[in-house]
Amino acid sequence: MPCQDGDEAVKRTLVAAPLADAVHTSNWAVLVSTSRFWFNYRHLANTLSLYRTVKRLGIPDNQIILMLPDDMACNPRNTFTGSVFNDKSRLLDLYDDKGALEHLGMGGIEVDYRGNEVTVENFIRLLTDRWPTSHPHSKRLMTGPQSNVLIYMTGHGGNEFLKFQDSEEISSFDLADAFAQMYEKKRYHELLFMIDTCQANTMYNAFYSPGVIATGSSAKDQSSYSHHADQDVGVAVIDRWTYFYLEFLETYLNSTASDVRLGELFDYQTYDRVHSDAGVRYDLFPGGELAAREKRVLDFFGNVQGVEIEDGLKSSQIDWKKDLEALQKLAAKVEGEQEDVEGVHDSPIATAAGKLNASGPKATLDMAHASDSFLKKIAGAASLVVLGGAWMASSALTKQAAIK
Amino acid sequence: MPPAEKPKTACKLEYPVYVRLIVESDPTQAESLAAQVEGLLRADDGFALYDFHVTPDASNATIAFDALRTVQHTDPASPEHKESALTVNVKADSSVKSTETTLWSWVPLLEVRHNPGDAEDTATLAVFISQVIHRIFTEEQNTISYLLEETAFTSGRPIKQPSPEIKAELDAKKTRAFKYASTYHLTFSLFTSSALPASWDVEEALESTIQPLINRFSGISHFTVDTQVQLYASFSPSIAGPQYDDTSREWQLQRSDLSGFINAAEWPLSPGIGAGPTINFVLFVPSQDQSPLVIAENGGNSWLIPQWGGVQILNPAGKQPDKLTAHHLEPVMLTFADQLSTLLGLPSSPPSLALRIQSLTRERATSIIVSASSTLGALARLSLKLKSIAIPKSVANSVDETLHHLDQACRALHAGQFHKALENARTAEDEAEEAFFEPSMVGQVYFPDEHKVAVYVPLLGPMGVPLVMVLVKELRAFIKRLREKKSQKAKDE
Repeated sequence: MPCQDGDEAVKRTLVAAPLADAVHTSNWAVLVSTSRFWFNYRHLANTLSLYRTVKRLGIPDNQIILMLPDDMACNPRNTFTGSVFNDKSRLLDLYDDKGALEHLGMGGIEVDYRGNEVTVENFIRLLTDRWPTSHPHSKRLMTGPQSNVLIYMTGHGGNEFLKFQDSEEISSFDLADAFAQMYEKKRYHELLFMIDTCQANTMYNAFYSPGVIATGSSAKDQSSYSHHADQDVGVAVIDRWTYFYLEFLETYLNSTASDVRLGELFDYQTYDRVHSDAGVRYDLFPGGELAAREKRVLDFFGNVQGVEIEDGLKSSQIDWKKDLEALQKLAAKVEGEQEDVEGVHDSPIATAAGKLNASGPKATLDMAHASDSFLKKIAGAASLVVLGGAWMASSALTKQAAIK
Repeated sequence: MPPAEKPKTACKLEYPVYVRLIVESDPTQAESLAAQVEGLLRADDGFALYDFHVTPDASNATIAFDALRTVQHTDPASPEHKESALTVNVKADSSVKSTETTLWSWVPLLEVRHNPGDAEDTATLAVFISQVIHRIFTEEQNTISYLLEETAFTSGRPIKQPSPEIKAELDAKKTRAFKYASTYHLTFSLFTSSALPASWDVEEALESTIQPLINRFSGISHFTVDTQVQLYASFSPSIAGPQYDDTSREWQLQRSDLSGFINAAEWPLSPGIGAGPTINFVLFVPSQDQSPLVIAENGGNSWLIPQWGGVQILNPAGKQPDKLTAHHLEPVMLTFADQLSTLLGLPSSPPSLALRIQSLTRERATSIIVSASSTLGALARLSLKLKSIAIPKSVANSVDETLHHLDQACRALHAGQFHKALENARTAEDEAEEAFFEPSMVGQVYFPDEHKVAVYVPLLGPMGVPLVMVLVKELRAFIKRLREKKSQKAKDE
């Protein structure tokens, strides 16, 4: 079979290069709440709390993708207009945009996907980075082989699914395939998947891509509970599992110099605290449980940039100075010649860029697949006609039989 | 769709290197010397990837030097163009004791001066020159073997792999340098703790240091430059902050503070400039009461953040100036130039900038060919694994384009046209990415069986029940008729 041979050849010649074993150089966070409406206040509070934490630990806003399906701060039922709290003490306003000094807030919240934009499709597009060319860069997950990614999801779920906005759901298998595509394109170095929902641990069973650590709030057939309600807000303000995550992060991660390991963080979620069996999946991570537990919490929750302090720059500065001076002189000397040459010199890139633009509109989103769906419609109509015909024929036959 | 021409055999990466040899002292000697150097270089098994061509050039050296300068500016895309990688000029100089070499920085020229009084024969000189050339290409050779390691491009060829120490160094280099992009955005920011200095002569400083450098890189990538000034920039709340050291009378930053030094929440460093990565260069001027501010570890004032940019602290002598002049900025910009070249992946040797940029062109072309192929591989594996994903025709077209351009890139490499190879590899990479990230290849690929039942039963159920009932009825009637016929027959008989 020639087709099979081709596939085999592709497999052979284009062997996947292993993920770089070097350290990560950037941190990204995807924080998703999947439920809307006032009584789900706690899910948005969960997500905003995580947002505050990762921002506090140094992940810049353009590397945090925040998906909020509803706006609790401006909900008409909210007695505290413009505020979202995750604790009945109401000491910390999660929706504070007044700046860092007053409340130790974080100076503004950048919601990337809001309301009806929070859909399964958009979430999968986000992970796989399959967007029409018009999609803004700030709303994309532009990770590379050296990015560590934190994914936090909260909402209502069940066995192997998580509900999005009461209208659709994402299954464990969809997530697993999305991660596989990220892995194939080397879009992450290490990935920490966290989920706070009922039967959360079933969400990560289907995962199969290396480099993933997954943790959930409750085992199969268990519910995840809310922590407490605020009588003045009128609803539960935070979920148990997230509450204790935050408690740990606020207590032990006060600065970017904190050396706290993932193992300690996971062990903090005991049954006594969470009232359900929080689970962790280590087996996909290279090095297994030991290596995963030894990872620093800041490798996922913070943006700790590797730093190379330069030594002996003095001598190399002198080198550069000489080089650059020489370059300047040369540039001045050949300026005349260069004038007419420069255009030619630049042309290859210019044409490439021009081509990119030209191909832009072509690549815009075409979800409908006009011709395809038309064919399908015809096929559907034809089958209906055939079935109807069969029915008519049979009833005619019956009548005949009856007459006989 | 017409099938694109497919390469018959897999691409065998090979790098022809053209060396011109000028023997100023004795042009008649050039031919034999060239042949010997070429022979020695080719016999070197460390260089299996290279194909050295050494051609004698009998023309007068000064003319040759002028010609060399124009070589820099001939159109690299023209088909006949063979980029002469290096010119070797052998001079007689009675003032030198033993043979000496000088490598020019801004043109790829190696000057060899030997004493004519020495009874050195051509063979010794040839060995000497070949060793120098060997040293020049060592780092590049290591990098390229490292890039090709564990890819199909090396299958069946004995390519010497670098030693573990060199490999660790190359790992670090890979972590440090940005991934190749056709456009980089450079952002130079001045952050000051207080109100002063309020401005800087950045344009002048950039013009004299950064601009000539990025002009040199223009054959590889494009650059845009932005600058900004931010006053009253505060430290991030999550770092301990500078501590005063009594003995040295300096404010010191610990290493752990450096990693959180960039106050991501408040400093406007978001790279929203468009396609392509942003390289950040931050100059921080501490307030008067926290000056001088240094790094505790080595008393230095600059550090590099891999794949992000460079940071420097400037402690102006005396009172805070209102304005940072070009004079203040000169050492700063030199450090930034050094950091920029590191972040772009420029090799650290040989000492000639021209040769290093050539090396970078070859390295980049190689790395994009490898990454475009790996994207294709990922797409192929994906299409085999996720069977239900719909793949539109545009993806097939892009894949064909990719293969075509990869083939072209490979040919250009063989012909020694490295800029053309780079350009083709870049197009191949863009096409491969476009194919992989095709927006319509999204969808929920998994639907559990319960879903399917729930969707189809309400549709097919009402339709199916009468059909089945009629079928049963008809069958019974048929059997009845059969029986009647049989009994009829029996009666008849």
